[in-house]
Amino acid sequence: MSEIKVDRKEELREYVKGNTFKESNLIKDDTLIFQEGFFDSMGFVMLMDFIEQKFGVTTEDDDLIEENFESINAISDFIQRKLSN
Amino acid sequence: MSQGKKTGFHKDILKLQNIEETINAILKKLREDVHGKLKRHGGVIGISGGIDSSVTMALAAKAFGSDNVLGVLLPEKDSSSDSEKLALELAAKFNVKTITENITGALSGFKCYERRDEAVKNVFPEYDPATYKMKIGIKTNPSSKLPPVFSVIIITPDGEEKSKKLHAKDYMQIVAASNFKQRSRMSMLYYHAERLHYAVIGTPNKHEVDQGFFVKYGDGGADVMPIGNLYKTQVYEIARYLGVPQGIIDRTPTTDTYSAEQTQEEFFYQFPFEIMDLLWFAFENSYDPVEVGKVMGHSEEDILHIFDNFKRKNLTTEYLRMSPIRDY
Repeated sequence: MSEIKVDRKEELREYVKGNTFKESNLIKDDTLIFQEGFFDSMGFVMLMDFIEQKFGVTTEDDDLIEENFESINAISDFIQRKLSN
Repeated sequence: MSQGKKTGFHKDILKLQNIEETINAILKKLREDVHGKLKRHGGVIGISGGIDSSVTMALAAKAFGSDNVLGVLLPEKDSSSDSEKLALELAAKFNVKTITENITGALSGFKCYERRDEAVKNVFPEYDPATYKMKIGIKTNPSSKLPPVFSVIIITPDGEEKSKKLHAKDYMQIVAASNFKQRSRMSMLYYHAERLHYAVIGTPNKHEVDQGFFVKYGDGGADVMPIGNLYKTQVYEIARYLGVPQGIIDRTPTTDTYSAEQTQEEFFYQFPFEIMDLLWFAFENSYDPVEVGKVMGHSEEDILHIFDNFKRKNLTTEYLRMSPIRDY
């Protein structure tokens, strides 16, 4: 795994843990953050803003699927795919 | 069948068995609450020409007598023009006195429109509130477990509709600015209630309360909510029974908040009311999702997904239903 990818995941982890109102140490990289209630609708919108500001990745309507956002792993992969395109 | 789940779900399960008995129970409690607990002589209701406020006003007129009820029309510049005509027709039918209080000036004073339009222009710089219309939309993928996201929709003077996903900051500013409308209405209702020694009779129905489709200290600010435990289809049943004007019964429920017309289904509920009522009833009474799916024509997986969304909606809107916390 490249260092950039590790850093990105770490930044994501930090953001997600710092912005949930639930017990943040329960969040692992594969935790389903929406399904398990760590983030709600407003949290989702703010997360997309964070991704845009931090990594320059804009979420399009077609990107709004679980595979892209369900966990820290999924979000990290989504950012990677968007940046590679 | 799922273990431990209730069975016997069917499509007529919410139909009121004895409508007169239901109405009488509401009237009795309304009198007990307003006279007995709140020590007020009557009720003030904001009437919009919508089904909920119409039924609430009709119930209040029956509970307290028409002479002890005041209907307040609270239009502003984005209100639908049908609202006033229908609200006046309703008041005439039940012999209720009305007052019209146009709140556009108060809202301008709060810079409601200016603050909202500033956020819309961040997304669509060409938006001109004098000639364009706008509303908020929800983008949701029914098969996804992701929460919905919000968009702003503008309608150009030529009728072209454009939509863009909203950033959190702009979404929150539009909502916060628009909420001045419901909160200004609440202030005006309390003005009339206090000068008459009446109670404010709130109009939210069960879905609005349980799913958080109201503004805290806005339309959620009231002394009693007599239809707060009724499903929307039951509100319609009572409307027909009490003789609410047909024009109100036939009207599609709208949010009446943004300049572009927006149905409640489109904005918030995502299902027609007759479907939403049954699904919510099944959800809150823990009916077997397999059976519910068969009755409603969905798979068990779909029903479980819908129930998950309901649970999320109820949990994430808990803040709206909370009273100030004072157990310090």
